[in-house]
Amino acid sequence: MAKIVLDHLVKRFGKQTAVKDLCLEIEDRQFVAILGPSGCGKTTTMNMISGLLKPDAGKVFFDGKEMNDVPPGQRGVGFVFQNYAVFTNMTVYENIAFGLKIRHRPPEEIDREVNEVTRLLQIRQLLSFNASKLSINDMQKVALARSMVTKPKIFLLDEPLSNLDAALRNIMRAELKKIQQELGQTTIYVTHDQVEAMSLSDRIAVMNFAVLQQYGSPHEVYNRPKNLFVANFIGSPTINFMEGSFGSGAFTLKDFTRGKIPLSKQAMHAAGQKLTSQEVVIGVRPEHLKIMDRGSEGAGFQGEEDGGSPSGLLAKVVSSEPLGSKTIVYLHPDANPGVILKSSMGSDYRPAIGEMKELTFKEKNLYVFDKKSTELAARF
Amino acid sequence: MEQKLFVKILKFILVIVVTVLFLFPIYWMVTMAFKPYTEWTAAGGKIFWYPTKPTLDNFRSIFSKQLKMNPIAGTAIRPVVNSLIVAVVGTAIAMIAGVLAAYGISRYKRGGNLPFSLLQLRMFPPIAIIIPIMIMWAFLRMIDTWFGLVVIYGVVTLPFATWLMKTFFDDIPHELDEAAIVDGCSNAGAFVKVVLPLAKGGIASTALFVFILNWSDFLVALVLTDRRWTTIPVHISKLQSALVGQLYGPKAALGVIAAIPPIVFGILIQKYLVRGLTFGAIKK
Amino acid sequence: MASKNPRKQKNVSDTARFGLFLTLPAQVMLFFIVVFPMLAAIYLSLSTWSPLTSEGTFWYQAYKYWGWLSNYWGLVRQKDYLLALARTFIIVLVVVPVEFFIGLGLAFLFLEKFPGKKVFHSIILMPMMIVPAVAGFIFYMIFQSAGPLNAVLSRVLFRDVTLTWLTGKVSALICIMIADIWEWTPLMFLILLSGLMALPEDQINAAVILGANRWQRFKMVIFPLMKPVIVIALIIRGMEAVKIFDPIWLMTAGGPGTSTESISVYMYKHGFKYLNWSWVAAAGILVLILMSVISMFALKPLKEKKQEA
Repeated sequence: MAKIVLDHLVKRFGKQTAVKDLCLEIEDRQFVAILGPSGCGKTTTMNMISGLLKPDAGKVFFDGKEMNDVPPGQRGVGFVFQNYAVFTNMTVYENIAFGLKIRHRPPEEIDREVNEVTRLLQIRQLLSFNASKLSINDMQKVALARSMVTKPKIFLLDEPLSNLDAALRNIMRAELKKIQQELGQTTIYVTHDQVEAMSLSDRIAVMNFAVLQQYGSPHEVYNRPKNLFVANFIGSPTINFMEGSFGSGAFTLKDFTRGKIPLSKQAMHAAGQKLTSQEVVIGVRPEHLKIMDRGSEGAGFQGEEDGGSPSGLLAKVVSSEPLGSKTIVYLHPDANPGVILKSSMGSDYRPAIGEMKELTFKEKNLYVFDKKSTELAARF
Repeated sequence: MEQKLFVKILKFILVIVVTVLFLFPIYWMVTMAFKPYTEWTAAGGKIFWYPTKPTLDNFRSIFSKQLKMNPIAGTAIRPVVNSLIVAVVGTAIAMIAGVLAAYGISRYKRGGNLPFSLLQLRMFPPIAIIIPIMIMWAFLRMIDTWFGLVVIYGVVTLPFATWLMKTFFDDIPHELDEAAIVDGCSNAGAFVKVVLPLAKGGIASTALFVFILNWSDFLVALVLTDRRWTTIPVHISKLQSALVGQLYGPKAALGVIAAIPPIVFGILIQKYLVRGLTFGAIKK
Repeated sequence: MASKNPRKQKNVSDTARFGLFLTLPAQVMLFFIVVFPMLAAIYLSLSTWSPLTSEGTFWYQAYKYWGWLSNYWGLVRQKDYLLALARTFIIVLVVVPVEFFIGLGLAFLFLEKFPGKKVFHSIILMPMMIVPAVAGFIFYMIFQSAGPLNAVLSRVLFRDVTLTWLTGKVSALICIMIADIWEWTPLMFLILLSGLMALPEDQINAAVILGANRWQRFKMVIFPLMKPVIVIALIIRGMEAVKIFDPIWLMTAGGPGTSTESISVYMYKHGFKYLNWSWVAAAGILVLILMSVISMFALKPLKEKKQEA
């Protein structure tokens, strides 16, 4: 239960900068995910919070107290490593009891706490087994129990679910959330899996190439991504990007023969505010990009109110993936076979390969990005 | 984890101190080898910590009789040559038998107790085995011959050659052998055409390692040689007599010559030393 | 797809023969040069034959001088032999732990980065690579009364030190131990360093975060994880230390008198000075039996590690 503040943290390894000027505030009791691809600096950040690494610049604060010179063992954090790092020469009991034994707690108290935490995680029956002989899934629980038993104020979890099999991952995700809400620890969770981040966190810190890209709630990063990277990283299947230019009241998408999208007056005004140049990238999520037969009722781009006549954005079907609950259709714009667009349609939708379809989406679902700065210019 | 600078410096000094202690005896011998007569004789009572007038006289004296500087003049040529010949041939024998056996153990799990009998072999004091061998050799007139010596060298270093090569063969996935066999090779063909070339590095390192062991041998050569086939270590020990025991300079020169190959090779195969000396139990 | 059977048949026997052929040279060598002499030694040890006293008979006629276990009986009651045995074990029990602890300390130092590490590493290897006989000679020089050790001591103690280290019974033994420690600590260093570097870093970090201080980390995590490596290092070094011969022979030849004789030196002297070959054969067999018993216990950990791998 502690508020964490990261103040202009910098970490370099030789000539490489792993973390560049990171500023982050994590409120008490929040579950925050640090999300990003490998090498983005998320584990390095974790290690600076835990104290295993010393920042080259900047400070770490827990509840207002500067932590830079406090050794990891005295920061009151619990850490779960990606590969669990259970002590292979000890039993499960000894592993979990380790933190308490270090602090010279009396044996009855240790016993009590270990039993309590293993009951919570349902691994009581494993107590006498050697920790290295467990299945991966059980090892993960032991690692979790071990970090929980000392009742740390802050939990740091480094991709704890990435080694589990898919079935267990979902179950453990729910378990983790439940435990965190029960115990109320401030939790920081490092992952490259945006589904995990989206489903578990109160807020997500998206990082790429050592720089914090955006820090916001799942809703925020999904609906108002700050730049192209965040928009592309969050959401599955990934967002569709279409390049084009802005001018004379419309977007002109360059990959289509008739790529003009007329905009409503408010839209034009909003877009014009932030854009630094005429070059734009339009984003539409697959679930908002529907396809219909050419010329059919309701097909085409739908501007708001006085948006004008529907345009004729045509795309050719390349393939489709029936996923059960939905069908993902892959298409390419009629003027550019090199770009692939994804459309999420209903579970029974079976398009014919090679067919020309008309793209159907609403103005309010557009993400407008300034091509040069990659930043979000408008959302309607 | 980060540490105070002060502690780091202290540790570095400690490393330096230990290194100096390890280096000093070697330094002493090397400088002794280059000191002129006046500087290494014990007479003066003065210690020269480094040769103020470095000279190659010591080296010259042990190799050529011309200088006639001391009783051991010119006697070192034979031991040096002997050491070289015997170490090389002994290594070859150990390598041939060892490489084959190692491959057999690695791939075919054959040899049953061979691996561990080889290990047990190392537990016995060589002197215990060498006496009966010496008796046999005397009977077969193999004392003071090169072939009498190299055979024993081959056997004594066989455990090292075998175990070390086994680890190298283990590193080569046996799927490669099987691929070769599927392609039509015989077992021997797979071994010679596929595995051996891949094991080149390991063979070279093992050979150097075994060479070091053979070159460094003392007891076996002491027992099995007399006059013609003494090796360098034996020669040095012979020079410990009262008459020539104090000839530090020339003896140090001989010592330097003896020490160079193992040190050079040892540094070359640094990576594999642990593997070799622990019979493959520890692989970095 | 041609019929596989005949080819498979050929393959199986071809494989079996090849496998046999592979280990044949080694087995042959072992038999003729180890097994056979061993049998000969046992045969000899049960006689009292010696080239000096047996009127020029050949060794295989030793049955003419049969003595059954008289040699063995004599050996276990001979002061010199027992002392040599005891002395050898004392040497081993002193040098191996010392080499171990210095090597361990050094290994810990080498876990960290510092300038010139590779160079220092290579230099530290050098004592181990020096021919042991040469190392013996070097320390012979160092321990001379006019040698560098006394020179340093003279400077430090501000008076002339001209001790003759190698002529005192106890001091000579200590000198030999010093020579051995100098020569073989690098080996322990190498092995232990390998072990330390192979330690799983995450486990140690986990211990750090859980609050363990340096000592707790060492006792509860590092040391247990290092146990297999430590055992191997001690066994390997112990095995070799028992056979110690080269430095002793070069430094004191077992003297003064017999006060620095190890088992190997004892047997060499009795074999070559006194030519008492059947006696030495018996002495050797006794040592072999002793070492076999010890090796059965000592090699178990090594065997277990192999089976794990």
